[in-house]
Formats: sequence, C-alpha cells, structure tokens
Amino acid sequence: MPPKRMTANRDRSHRYFPGKVEYAQDALSSDSENSDAEVSSAHQPAKPSLPKATSFPKDARLAANLSKINLDARRAQAAAQEAERLKREAEARAKEEEGFVTDDDNDEDDGSRREQESGSEEEEQEESTSSEDDVPKRRMPAPKFISKTNRKQHSVPVFNEEELAAQEDARRKERADEMLQLQLEKQAAAKAAGKKDWDDDEEGLADEVDDTDDVDPEEERALWKKRELLRIKRDRDAIESAEKEREEIERRRNLSKEEREAEDREYIDTQKEEHEGKGKMGHMQKYFHRGAYTFDADDETKQLLNRDIMGSRFQDDARDKSMLPSALQIRDMTKIGKKGRTRYRDMKSEDTGRWGDLGVRDRRKDGDHRLDERFLSDGDAERPGGTGANAYAVGERRKRVDDSRDGRRDDKRPKYGR
Amino acid sequence: MAHAADAKKALDSRGYTGSLIRGDNPLKLFEKPVRDRIIESYYWKEQCFGLNAATLLDRAIELTFIGGTYGVSQRPTPFLCLAFKMLQLTPDKEVILFYLQQEEFKYLRALAAFYIRLAWEKDAEVYETLEPYLADSRKLRRRTREGWTLTHVDEFVDDLLIKGRICATTLPKLNPRVMLEDEDKLEPRISALGEELEELDADDDGSEGEVVEVANGHANGNGHPEEDGDNDADMDAD
Repeated sequence: MPPKRMTANRDRSHRYFPGKVEYAQDALSSDSENSDAEVSSAHQPAKPSLPKATSFPKDARLAANLSKINLDARRAQAAAQEAERLKREAEARAKEEEGFVTDDDNDEDDGSRREQESGSEEEEQEESTSSEDDVPKRRMPAPKFISKTNRKQHSVPVFNEEELAAQEDARRKERADEMLQLQLEKQAAAKAAGKKDWDDDEEGLADEVDDTDDVDPEEERALWKKRELLRIKRDRDAIESAEKEREEIERRRNLSKEEREAEDREYIDTQKEEHEGKGKMGHMQKYFHRGAYTFDADDETKQLLNRDIMGSRFQDDARDKSMLPSALQIRDMTKIGKKGRTRYRDMKSEDTGRWGDLGVRDRRKDGDHRLDERFLSDGDAERPGGTGANAYAVGERRKRVDDSRDGRRDDKRPKYGR
Repeated sequence: MAHAADAKKALDSRGYTGSLIRGDNPLKLFEKPVRDRIIESYYWKEQCFGLNAATLLDRAIELTFIGGTYGVSQRPTPFLCLAFKMLQLTPDKEVILFYLQQEEFKYLRALAAFYIRLAWEKDAEVYETLEPYLADSRKLRRRTREGWTLTHVDEFVDDLLIKGRICATTLPKLNPRVMLEDEDKLEPRISALGEELEELDADDDGSEGEVVEVANGHANGNGHPEEDGDNDADMDAD
C-alpha cells in the first residue's frame, strides 16, 4: 500500500498545529504508518483490540474475497474510536484548566493510563521525540504531602519513559567518559615511557643495533685497538708514500738525460703492454665510456674505474662483423629494427674526400686527347694564363672610326670600323 | 630572533647580525635542502623551540642515535636538529668543551664533537681538541639512509677528521694533519696506545698475526724494505 502522500518525506502529521483540522485516517493506512517510527501517539489511541476477522482472505481467491470486505464497517469503527479519544482529551484538558488536579483523584486513572500508554509507546516509538508526545498528555504531578513514615517507603520512584531515557543517556555518557579516560591514560603512559609524538616511525627497529657498552670489555678493547692501529698505519703509509715521491723526484733529477729517456721508454712500453692486454676495440665495435664523474674513490670504486669496458663482450656480440650483411654492420646493434636508424656506418665510409695519394691525376690528363678543349676537366686546362675566357691573350682593339665632323661630335655611340 | 615561531626569517642571511662562522651565517654550514628538512620536521618544531644552552643539554641527553637524514623523505635525525640548533645559538667555547667532556653521555659528546668540527676555524685547535677522543671506544648507534649501523665514538671522531662529508653535511675544509705538522703547528699524534705501540714496533717478526704486521711501520704495501731510518723516529711516541 503506497503511503498516503506519495512522497519520500517523513510524515509530519504528528505535529500539533493549532487550528488544524485533523482527519480520521483510514484504518489500513494507519496500520501501514504505524510501522513508521515517527507516528505519534496522538493519533494512536490505546492499542485497539484485534479484529475478530482478518481482512486477509485465507484462500487464494483474493479478488472474490475483497469484494466481501465491508470497508464501511471498519471506517465506522475507527471513527468511533477517534471520537472517543477526542472526547477524553477534551475532558482532560478541561480538568487541567480548572486547576491542579489532586493526586488522589488522578493517580489511579492517569497513572494507569500513562503506564499503559507509556508501555505501548515505548514499544513502538523509541525514537519519537518525547516533548511533542507529552504536550497533550503530560500533567505535572501536584505536590503531595507525605508523612514522615511514608517518606521512607517511597524509595523506588516510578519513572516514566522520559526519565528512563534520560537515565540511560546518563549511563551511556558515563561509559563513554570512562573509555575516553582510559584512552587518555594509555596515551600519557606511552608518552612517559619515552615514545615521542614527533617520531612516528617504529622505534622497535632501533633495537637491532645495540649500543650498550661494557657487554664484553675485552672484546671491545681489542676492537678498539685494531681500529687505532689501522689509523696509525694509514697515517704512516701516507707519510711514506709522500716520502717516496720526493725521493723519486730527486733521483730523476740526478740522472742524466739519456737515462731519463731510457726510463721513459721503458715506462711507455709497459703501458703499451697493459693496453694490449686490455681488450681491443674490434672493427665496428660500440664505444662505451665509463663516465666522467666519480665521487670518493674508495677501493671498490677504484676497481670499477679501472675495469676494462671495451674488452668485454656480451653474449650476442658478433666479433667479426664483416660476416654480417652490410645492413647489420653497424656500431650500435641496439638500433636495429628501431625507428630513426640511419644508414650511417662510420665516418670513413661516408667520407667523400680524397685523402692521400693524388698521383692519379696525371693519368687522366693523357686520356683526354680526344675531347674538345671545352669539355676537358678543369684540372687539365689549367694553363698558366687562365681558363675559359682568360685562356687567350687579349688581342688588339678594333679601331674606332674617327668621323669627327662638327655635327657628329655629340654622338654618344662610338662607331667602330672593321 | 632565534626564537621566533617560524624560524625561516632567522635563516635569511640578509638581516643576520649574530656571530659569524667563516664569514657567514652559521646556519649556512648546512645545505639548503637539509636546512629545509630540519625546519619542517616535527622534532625541530616541538622540541627545539626556544632552547638555550641548558635546555639543549636536556634534549641532547635524551638522544639515542646519531645520523644525518634518513628515509625516502630525507627526515632529519634529532641529532642533526640539535646540531642545527647549536649552530643557531653559537654557544661559547667553554660550554662546548663542557659538553664534550661529559663522560656520562656519549651522544652529547658526539654532538659536541660534530659542532666543533663544523664551527671552529682554527685547524690546530680542532685536532688538539678532538684527538683525545680517539681513545673513547664506546658504541654509538647510527641511523643511515636505509637502516641502522653500529659505530663507535672513536670511529665517528676519525670520520670527522678525515672525511669530507658526514651526517648529511659537507664538512668545512680542514688542512690535513701532515701539513700542519710540517708547518710546526702541531706535534705528531700521540696515540692512546702509546707504549704498546712501541712494543709492537720493536717487534720485527710478523708471525704474530695480522694486527702486528699492520702496526709495523716497516711493512709497506709493496714489500720494499724501509728506506730511511728517520721515518720511525718521527712517528714514535715520546
């Protein structure tokens, strides 16, 4: 059954609007809305007794049975109930307006009713706001005189649901406070134990390195001795190498020139041997440079610096590239198959210059007898005078006709005879 | 100025009026990236605010490891932050010597040694002050970029005197000891081994093991026999 107003909003019909006419609802619709938590108790009288006949037909022939249902009867019933409730409320309000209602009168009536209602309300509306509920029904209990003897008996006051709720809230808050307190205490304890706020790494990893002293004094002393001796050795070595260098310089100065040259040659020879020992660069081998920058050269780095890069070959490296087809005879084999590869091989093969013996020229001179002078190559026709138009000496100029009559002297055009 | 909540202004050299180290703002001894990391770290902000020499002592006592920056994000160690603070405060020489002489707290000693190496300008003084601590063999925990290592006070001091870069800072140039000895500003180093060293030197046979051979100044890498008798006379302790 769709909600009466066809909206997704909550039904706010439990609010009290002064002057608003409240319509009696359908029994069916009110049933569906009863499941909604917001339905107020104002519309709900004391829980209606179960109908003697269910509106749901027991057999499947719903359509047939539906027609049998007499809605009017139910509507009449609902209306009667509503009227009754309204009457009661009016009475109650009238009584309130008269004045304080003495407790004796009302305790039984109202208390019982209130309990009943509160019971029903508690069941069905846990979340309903109690303030709106209480407006129509709530009555301040009038101060009742209790004699001394009776005072002590009243140790268990009757709470209605509002106070119960308040008490529960209070209890919940207490529990939350306690938990919070525990948390804070834990934090404080952790802080006190040395766990710093600013350090959110796991300090536990620091324990793997133990810096307690005097665990084994003998061993520690021995280690220290070793370190100290190494330092001393280092210092002494440095001094000695400096000394040796100085001596070497002295010695060389004292040698004669020939001896120096002899030594130099020896040194160069040994160097050459070393270089040969290193891998040579094969034909068309890619050149790898070890890099120009190094930092602190410790022993490892020095070894790395001195390794023989050009001498090493990787697995697929072809030693003899001349066996490869010419398209594959390139220096950097990684470029094969990639875009941007040029057909450049090496400078030598791309060079168009003529280096070296130019004696070839003379042969060509003789072979060009048959050609006309104009078609000879320039090298040939390099006569001492010049080539082309400069090949011939300038001959005599043609004489200009000297017709200098009076009338013609102003002619600009020179006339040449034969 | 030194205790502003945001120290960035204090690090600007333009208005700097405090004491100079090597002609510049002492904080400039640390490189810019390292300075930035320090200032942005929680340790600096929480613990190093408004410190003076006495309260810095309290913090230094709580140190448990030395190190420069670590981790991917280059977090500075508390050691580095306190060193930075010391550079900011530039305490007196007596205070520093007091820190250095504390036997009980080795990390405080390491911190003072670090400061001395950075801040003192006279090389001879640096050598003279730090060399006695080459005898202190206590363990130090060191935080490296990837993890933890164990080192010792004497190793740390040796690194300070020899290496060019330590704990995320480039150490200012220090003349090598040999040069100072040649200029007669320093005496050759007297090792803490002292007498034992003489004994070891006197021992000529190399059968006692590696340590002895190493100590024996006569044994060179090339195996050449010693060329001068003078070598030893210079090096031996008095």
